This record gives sequence, C-alpha cells and structure tokens, in this order.
Amino acid sequence: MKKIFAYIRSKLSVRVSIGVVFFAAIIFTVALGFLFYESRDAVREEAVSKATRILDNTSLQVEGIMNRVEVASNLNKWLIERHLDDAESMFVYSRSILHNNPDFYNASIAFEPYYFKEKGRYFSAYTKHIGDSIRTIQGGSDNYQYFYADWYLMPFLLDKPSWTEPYMDLDVATNTREMVTSYCQTINDQQGRKVGVINISLSITWLSQTISATKPYPNSYSIMIGRGGTYFVHPDPEKITRQSIFTQTLEHPDPELTDLGHAMTRGEEGMKSMKLNGENCYVFYKPLGKTGCSMAIVCPESDIFRGFNRLQNSVRIIVLVGLLLMLYFFIRIITNELHPLRQLADEAETIASGQFNAQLPDFKRVDEIGQLSHSFGNMQQSLVKYIEELKNTTAQKASIESDLRIASAIQKGMLPDKFPTKTDRDDVQIYASLTPAKDVGGDLFDFYFRDEKLFFCIGDVSGKGVPASLFMAVTRSTFRTVSAHESMPDRIITIMNKTIADMNKNNMFVTLFVGVLDLPTGRLHYSNAGHDAPLLVGVGVGELPCDPNIPVGFMPDWKYTLQEAQIFTGTTIFLFTDGLTEAMDADKNQFQMERVNEVAAKALSQQQQEPQQLINKMTEAVHKFVGDAEQSDDLTMMGIQYIRQQDNIKMQKRLVLSNDIQEVPQLNDFVDEVCQTMGFDEMTTMQIKVAVEEAVVNVMKYAYPAGQKGDVTIEAASNDVRLKFTIIDSGKPFDPTVQSEVDTTLSADERKIGGLGIHIMRQNMDSINYERIDNLNVLTLRKKILP
Amino acid sequence: MTTTIKEQDGKMVAILEGTLDTAAAAETEKAMSPLNNADKDVILDCTDLAYISSAGLRIFLGILQSARIKGRLVYIKGINDSVRSVFTITGFSNIFEFI
Repeated sequence: MKKIFAYIRSKLSVRVSIGVVFFAAIIFTVALGFLFYESRDAVREEAVSKATRILDNTSLQVEGIMNRVEVASNLNKWLIERHLDDAESMFVYSRSILHNNPDFYNASIAFEPYYFKEKGRYFSAYTKHIGDSIRTIQGGSDNYQYFYADWYLMPFLLDKPSWTEPYMDLDVATNTREMVTSYCQTINDQQGRKVGVINISLSITWLSQTISATKPYPNSYSIMIGRGGTYFVHPDPEKITRQSIFTQTLEHPDPELTDLGHAMTRGEEGMKSMKLNGENCYVFYKPLGKTGCSMAIVCPESDIFRGFNRLQNSVRIIVLVGLLLMLYFFIRIITNELHPLRQLADEAETIASGQFNAQLPDFKRVDEIGQLSHSFGNMQQSLVKYIEELKNTTAQKASIESDLRIASAIQKGMLPDKFPTKTDRDDVQIYASLTPAKDVGGDLFDFYFRDEKLFFCIGDVSGKGVPASLFMAVTRSTFRTVSAHESMPDRIITIMNKTIADMNKNNMFVTLFVGVLDLPTGRLHYSNAGHDAPLLVGVGVGELPCDPNIPVGFMPDWKYTLQEAQIFTGTTIFLFTDGLTEAMDADKNQFQMERVNEVAAKALSQQQQEPQQLINKMTEAVHKFVGDAEQSDDLTMMGIQYIRQQDNIKMQKRLVLSNDIQEVPQLNDFVDEVCQTMGFDEMTTMQIKVAVEEAVVNVMKYAYPAGQKGDVTIEAASNDVRLKFTIIDSGKPFDPTVQSEVDTTLSADERKIGGLGIHIMRQNMDSINYERIDNLNVLTLRKKILP
Repeated sequence: MTTTIKEQDGKMVAILEGTLDTAAAAETEKAMSPLNNADKDVILDCTDLAYISSAGLRIFLGILQSARIKGRLVYIKGINDSVRSVFTITGFSNIFEFI
C-alpha cells in the first residue's frame, strides 16, 4: 500500500489522472444516481399503470363472461318457462346454451322430482363439451340426486339467481371431475311456483387460465379468492379451493398478507407493496363484479425492475469501464506530454553530477515545456559560465589566501621575536605581543639596540587588513632606516612623517610612539605622534605625559616635539595600541583605560610588573572581558622594564686636549695608562687605543670649523663590569654613530679611504653612544671587563 | 715613528718602526711616497710597528691601490698580533699579502 502511495506521489501523470477521473466519477455518480432514482419512480409508475390496466381488462373480461352466462341463463329461462309442457325441448335448450357459448363448461336444466311424470323422479337436461362435440344427456339418477346439490338448493333458498361457490362437478358418464362455479336461477311455472333450476357452469381452470393469460411480467401471476378468502385462482393448483388467503398466516403470522386478504374479501380495489414468499412484490387487487370474488396480480419487484436493473448495471459497467479507460488514456497522454520533462530531469541530473556540457534535448515545441527547455538551456549556459567564473574566483581567492598567509608570516618576521630578559641583559628586559584581528594587521612594534641605546616604537595604522599591513611594513622599515642615523625621537618621527606623507596617496596614517632609552642612565627621550600615552608601572601607575602631536602620514611639514623623562630602575614602560582599550565584549562595551590601569595596578601590587607578567595579566583580563566576541581590532602590547643597577665607580681619569691631531700621542699615552690600570692585555689595549683615537680624531677633525680652536675632554671611568670613555666637546652637533658603515668585504680597488674610524670603534668597543646634552656632544664608548 | 725605505732584491722595502697614529700619519705618508713612484713590488716591514690607527691604514691602502694600478704586489712582513687585529677587524687582512 505504501509502495502504491509512493508511486502515485512520484508520478504527476497518475496524480492528475486520478484527480480528474475521481472528479468525473463523482459527477457521474451524482448524475446517474439522480437519473436512476427518477427512472425507478417512472418504472414503478409504469408498472402500476400497466398492472392496473391488465387487472381492469381481466376484470372486464371476467365480468363479460359472467354477463354472458347470466344473459344466456335469462334468455333460456324465458323460453323454458314458455315450454314447461315439453320435457324433450329442455335438451334442446340445454344444448343450445353450450352451442352458442363454447367457452361455458356445462349447462343443465333440472326439475323438481316427478315434475315430468313420464320422466320419473329425475329429470335434468345436462349438456357438456366432450372434446369438440357437445353431448346432452339426462343427468339425474339415484347416484346423483341433483336436487340435493348446493347449486340446486341455493336459488330456491335465496329466491334469486346467484353464483355458487366453486364446487367439484362430477360427470358420471365420463367420470370427469372439474372445479366449476355456476350461475343458477329457478324456473317458475305460470303460477309462480319454483319447478326447476337452470345451471350454467364455468370451469374454474378455464377461468383461471383466462385470468392468467395476460401477464404484465414474465414472473407475475394472478390469484382469485372467493368471499371467504378461498383461492379460486392460484399458480399452485394444490391451494385452489383447499386453502384460503389466510391459511398460511395461521402458521406464520403475516400482517401484510392478512391486510391484503381483508381488503380483498371486503371487495376493495388497490395496490400494495409487500413481501410475499420472501420476495418483494407489488400486489394489484380488484373485486370481480358480482361474483363476490376478488382477483389480484402479483408482480415481483425483481420482475418490474428487471429491465431497469439490467440498464442500471449496464450503465454502471459502461461508466466504470469508461472511467478506467479515461484513467488509462489520461495517464498515457500526460506521461507522453511530460516525457520531455523526464528527459529534462535526467539531463538536469547529469548536469548536477558535474557534466555541465551535457547536450540538452531540443524539443522544438512552443508550449510551456518548450519554454522550460529553452530556459533550461539558458540556465545551463549561465551555469557553465558562472562555474568557470567561480573556478577562477576560487583560484584567485586561494592564491590571495596563500599570499595572505605568506604576508602574515612576513609581517610576523618583521617584528622582533627575541625578547631580552634579565638573564640576557643587565639593563633592560622587554616583552611584546601582537594579535592581529585578521591574517595581517596594521599594528606594529619594534625595538633594537644601538650604542647602548634602546630604540623602540609602537604604532597603529588606520584601518585593518592588507592595506594597513602594507602601511605598517613601510612604517616599520622607515623607522629602522631613519633611526639608523638619527638618535632623537622627534627627529626620527619628523623624518619618517615627511617620507611617509610624501608617498601617502591614500590618506592613511599611523599613530606612532617612538622612544630612545639611554641604557646607562635611564634617560628616556620620546616623541608621540597621536598614539595612546604609555603607562609607567613602577613606583605607582601613571601615564607618561605626551604632547599633542598629529599622527604620522598626512602633514609632511609637521614638527614633532621631543619629550624627556627619567626611567627609574624597576619601572616598566607599558605601551599598547587602542586594540586594548577598545577591545569589545559581545554587548559592544569597551575595555577602556580604567580597566587597563586597574590591571596594571593589581599587577604592581603583586610584584608582577615585569613585561611578560604584565602583558600576560593584561591579555588574560582582556580575554575574560571579551568572552566569545570576535576580536574587532589588532591588539598590541609592549613592555620595557629598566633594570640597570648603578654600579660603583672604581676608577676615574680625565684628559683635556685641544683640537689638534698632534695631541694624539698624548691621548694614546693616557689610554695606555688607563688600560694598564685596568690590567688589560696587549691586544685589548690595542683595540681600545685605536677606538678611542678614532673617536677623538673624529671630534678634532669635524666638531669645530676649520681653524677654530676648541677642547676635547676625555673621561675614563670604570666599575666592576665596564670601562667607559666619555668624549665631550662643545662643537657643532655631530653624531659619529650615524655614519654609514664601511663595507669590509670589498676588494682592494673598491675600498674607499675613509669611514674606517666608526667601524673600528664599533668593532673594538662593546657599545658606542652619542648624546647631545646642553650644547655638548657627548660620545660614550664602553668596553666590558672580562672576568 | 721612523720610516726607512730601501731597495732589496728588486723590491722596494719600507721598514716601519714605532707608533703609526694619526699624529704620525702625515709624516709617514710623506716618507713612503717613493714607494708610489717606483715600479716595483713593495714589502712593508712591520716587524717593529707597535701601533696603527685608521690613518695608518689609509696610507697602506693608498700604497696598495697605487701598486695595483702598476700591476705590482704589496707584502706586509713581520706584523705582530695586536697590529694584525686592526687589519683583521677592518677587513684589510683580506686585501693584503702577509709574509
């Protein structure tokens, strides 16, 4: 059953056909039902009128026969009464009755005993048909004393002519018995005495045949009952005269039959629909003239409606077959019509499986299916086109994603990944983290050491993603390039700004904080281009005061200001981008500066202000705050803790020279003496001597304008770990540390004479540092003391 | 600082003694100018050279470049370790021949 429903659901043709046929079936059922109902009524009406007509005819016919009997009897009575003197003539009359009326059964003219003396006791002229002839005999005898018979006595007693109840007539001569009913009337003599009886009989069998001759329906039959309900005519001969209409109701009470019997015996006329012998029948009944009999025609309903039922069944079969044929042809036609759709569906499957170039069937039709096919073709073409485009786009996207991954790696590679800790350095420890919101980001941080200075910066490029990352890369490399030969943050930012602004066609900008921490002294020079002010986490938590400078990138002539601060040992400079303060939770609430301060203060109170500890605490707090919300901006933090302990000075010497290179031997003697004091070996002494000479000669040659006299002060100082030479002059600002490096790998022909001095200084000393302090050039050379 | 120039086995030999610092450079360069004029290979005898600064290295480089133009070689002889370290850190050890 389920399979059938599934099949019907899967077949549009079957569904539509069943729907149409079902609808047609309903219409047929209603129409035919109405028609059958009306027809049935008409048939019933027809049956009633037909049966009534037959009943009337039969009744008339019976009455006609009876009338003839009565007329014949009356005519002969008149003749007989005129000729009562002639016994022999009675035979003639008797015979003439039957002769004139061949359908009469017999006729007798019987007289009182000894009426005709010469005839003896019995005289009855009795005529009866024997075959085709008529026989007339004298019927009375000792064996048959007719004057005791009912038919003879009845007219005497009733004193009027009457019809007898049927009785058995016995023809003694031929010993023939026949059920008859007789019309009897007395013969009166001239004195009015009753002298005999004229009896004319009708055969009940004949009467019954006459009545039953006309049948409205093949299985219909007639019955006739007498006054008391006795059957005179009945299809079952056994019942005739032996049973009445009420007989069977005694055993099996049947109110309908009883009613019918009463109605008939009362001489009513009518029609009853009832069950007779287990069959629905229509019974039409009517009294038969003066006989007191009543006759009925019983028509079985099945007979009446046989034709009708046959018609009905035929129509039903025709309709059923018609509907089935209709269903079949509908399914065939729709399936045929839908066949192209099936083809299209198959082709669609083919296309769906990836064969976009499958050939579509061409239906050459202009109907909806043709249109569908056409549209389908268009769709296929578009699909092929779009798939091709999609392929290209996907390939491009994959390429871009791959590029992005590489770019991300390159960008990470640009950022320092080795952070000095207190085990690496004794002056500063650094930690930083950068989490881009996308593959690549616009945040940057950088730091490196040059000449006992820590150069560092943190920045945030406007926007996100690839453009920001490119700008970040430019910013970071510009920082490295510029800071290689500039030591002051304001100068670094100013030059960076000019460089970047000149090539910034897209009006991007970067907020930037650049700091230069002098490691020996803890003096911080910084310049802030619109970036969030860093926190100092040390004695307490406080912001580093920052001048309001504009971000880098859009005003090439802006002069950035320089600021200074003293960083005390143990203090951490905490730098961050606005990704920290503006980190958002799911409800778009921002982390905000208050929370940054709180976390920093808490870290400080727990002695956790070392860069890595502080940044971890801050990261943890931000993650807790943000929860599952998507990171909205790049987040960068950098911590720089100054940890330099000021050492005890062990040795201090000082030499002042004029700016004359002829003073150099004096300088070398001074350095020799210092190295000797320090207990350096020959090689180290040589290295220091050469480096210091180069530094001092540089000052002598370049610090003062030609011909101008000036002094150069050389201080030598040492503690447990370092020997420091400080070379101070009052000449024009001159930073030897920003001289470009000499290439020591060039061949003899390519080597330039010059540029060697700064190289030798860097190579021979552990650090070299220039500062311009109070209009003095201060150059510091340091050498570690090896244990 | 004393500089002695002599010719020996067809080569020009310069014997350098003392400290070749910036102060001594001008005088030494002048003393060594014959090396540039002679079309011969040069031996710089540094056995007794106690010190050299970048000014001295510049003189050496000048001699070398001048000799090379003429297709001649310059050898440095008997250099001590500490002086040699200056040659090493400046990359001069790569461009001179040491004997």
